[in-house]
Amino acid sequence: MKVRFWGVRGAIATPGTDYLRYGGNTCCTAITGAQGELVVIDAGTGFCQLGDALVHGPFGRGQGEMVLLISHTHWDHLLGLPFPGIIHQPGNRFIICGPDSARGSLEAICNGLLSPTYSPVYSLANVGGEQIFQALTSDPFRAGGLTIRAWPLAYDEATSIRLYRIEEGTQSLVYITDINYTSPELMDEAATFAYGATLLVHSAPYMRNEPIQRYGFCHVEDALYVALQAHVSRLLLFYHAPTRTDDQLDTLLAHYRALLASQQATLHLDVAREGLVITL
Amino acid sequence: MHIRIWGTRGSYPVARAEMLHYGGNTTCVEVRVGETCIILDAGSGIRLLGEALINGIVPPAAHFHLLISHTHWDHILGFPFFAPIYHAHTRLTVYGLQRTRSSLRMTIDNALRVPLLPTGLESISAHIDFREITDDTCFDLGPDVLVTTARANHPYRALGYRIESPEGILTFVPDTGPFHTILFDEEFIVWKGVPPVLSAREQTTLAHMQQAMIALARNADWLIYDAQFTTSQYVQSPHWGHSTPAQALEIGHAAGVHEVLLFHHDPHRTDTELDIIEATQQALAPPGLQVRIAYEGMELRRGTTV
Repeated sequence: MKVRFWGVRGAIATPGTDYLRYGGNTCCTAITGAQGELVVIDAGTGFCQLGDALVHGPFGRGQGEMVLLISHTHWDHLLGLPFPGIIHQPGNRFIICGPDSARGSLEAICNGLLSPTYSPVYSLANVGGEQIFQALTSDPFRAGGLTIRAWPLAYDEATSIRLYRIEEGTQSLVYITDINYTSPELMDEAATFAYGATLLVHSAPYMRNEPIQRYGFCHVEDALYVALQAHVSRLLLFYHAPTRTDDQLDTLLAHYRALLASQQATLHLDVAREGLVITL
Repeated sequence: MHIRIWGTRGSYPVARAEMLHYGGNTTCVEVRVGETCIILDAGSGIRLLGEALINGIVPPAAHFHLLISHTHWDHILGFPFFAPIYHAHTRLTVYGLQRTRSSLRMTIDNALRVPLLPTGLESISAHIDFREITDDTCFDLGPDVLVTTARANHPYRALGYRIESPEGILTFVPDTGPFHTILFDEEFIVWKGVPPVLSAREQTTLAHMQQAMIALARNADWLIYDAQFTTSQYVQSPHWGHSTPAQALEIGHAAGVHEVLLFHHDPHRTDTELDIIEATQQALAPPGLQVRIAYEGMELRRGTTV
């Protein structure tokens, strides 16, 4: 499978020269299987950029199909959804999966997002592409040759987050974002789900010692802990804070690589950046 | 009057190298007149204004007046990232259109609450109040600033604002279609490629709206105006309620404004394309009417406000 990052920023998009190399669009990751199956995780503003690129293929002709996995329904994972032209193109199919909330189903949340108060689209009924909202269970499901597993972890009482694991043959990607690890048990649960993955994408907006932590949860240290516990081959830090510049990310990566080296850890650490393509 | 533009993009923020000059943040404009600080819209650009305030790059303000054109996402998505709202000494008044469906407070609160964000307005420590206004009102903000509103022609309706002071006049109309072809109101317009037949009453309403919009911009020093669409985009999708540069210039010319600033750039429009639009529109503009493309970081000044 081929993994491509279309948005790696957390909280809010950050256009500007300081963010050019790692990118300023919010969460969106696309996974393409060997048979061309397309699975997309999260629909932040990166989803708009992905949509523009997909216009040149079957989606431009109303013959596209994707599985869209939503980790949770906060803005930075969902606000890009109604904008790309491919969403409005009749004939395209979007199988949308994600957690419901105490205040409504994922479908109701998406519909509310488009209500006239917030959007000129008014409702999902005005979206030309076909939307199939599919419930997530503990059973894995398939998109062509890709196997998709979802695992719920609590964000708070009302908002659940789904972790995703996508497998093809012996290769696997695990995606964990925005978890507030309120107990060591939660971290171990995440590590169990991620066990043995080829690639772990984990949000890490802050280092543990940073004084201001306004935009989101998870520390680099949490991501490292989960990755090491799970014996994954490669960890990509994801969901960069809006205040995090390219230069700061360079420094951060060098610091934690040195730390891993000093511990003789074999984990391959990297920082997710927009446009990065990884073939597993 | 001192104006700083923090966000110019329409629809959604775009982080792309091809858009660095005109900027990828969505709409936000800061207006200072003496001690009065007005913020027009809370798109993603307001995060930058917040950082500039916290870091002392722009002067502090005792009271922020946030005038919201309408609550589509691109005009409010920066709100929870405006750092001053997390300081208890900040005072903020939010103005927006009175609705039947939801109060302004509830619209903002719901956007900040589960399931879309973790907490509602209670997470904000600033002293914040909401004023619901109509689309044909005027009110004072401080001794020297008069704000006037008019109705923009946009899905579910939106506001244009005129900020008038002895130092200068700014008119801000970030989202509006032209005043023909479609009359936007409460209902969704289903566009089938053919303009709907407008009743005489609808045509009269549109004509009145256009006159009110021209009055809103009358003799303004600057008219910041929706120019998201190219002519072909307008022909294809008039139902999204945006204007072309030519339509913006038409209003500016009719109102006798000094300078039109084309605004709310399409999220696909690159710097190179906007450069071409600027050159074209400058060549087409009637004598005496200045026109430029608004860019992130642009500053405009008249009078003594620093």
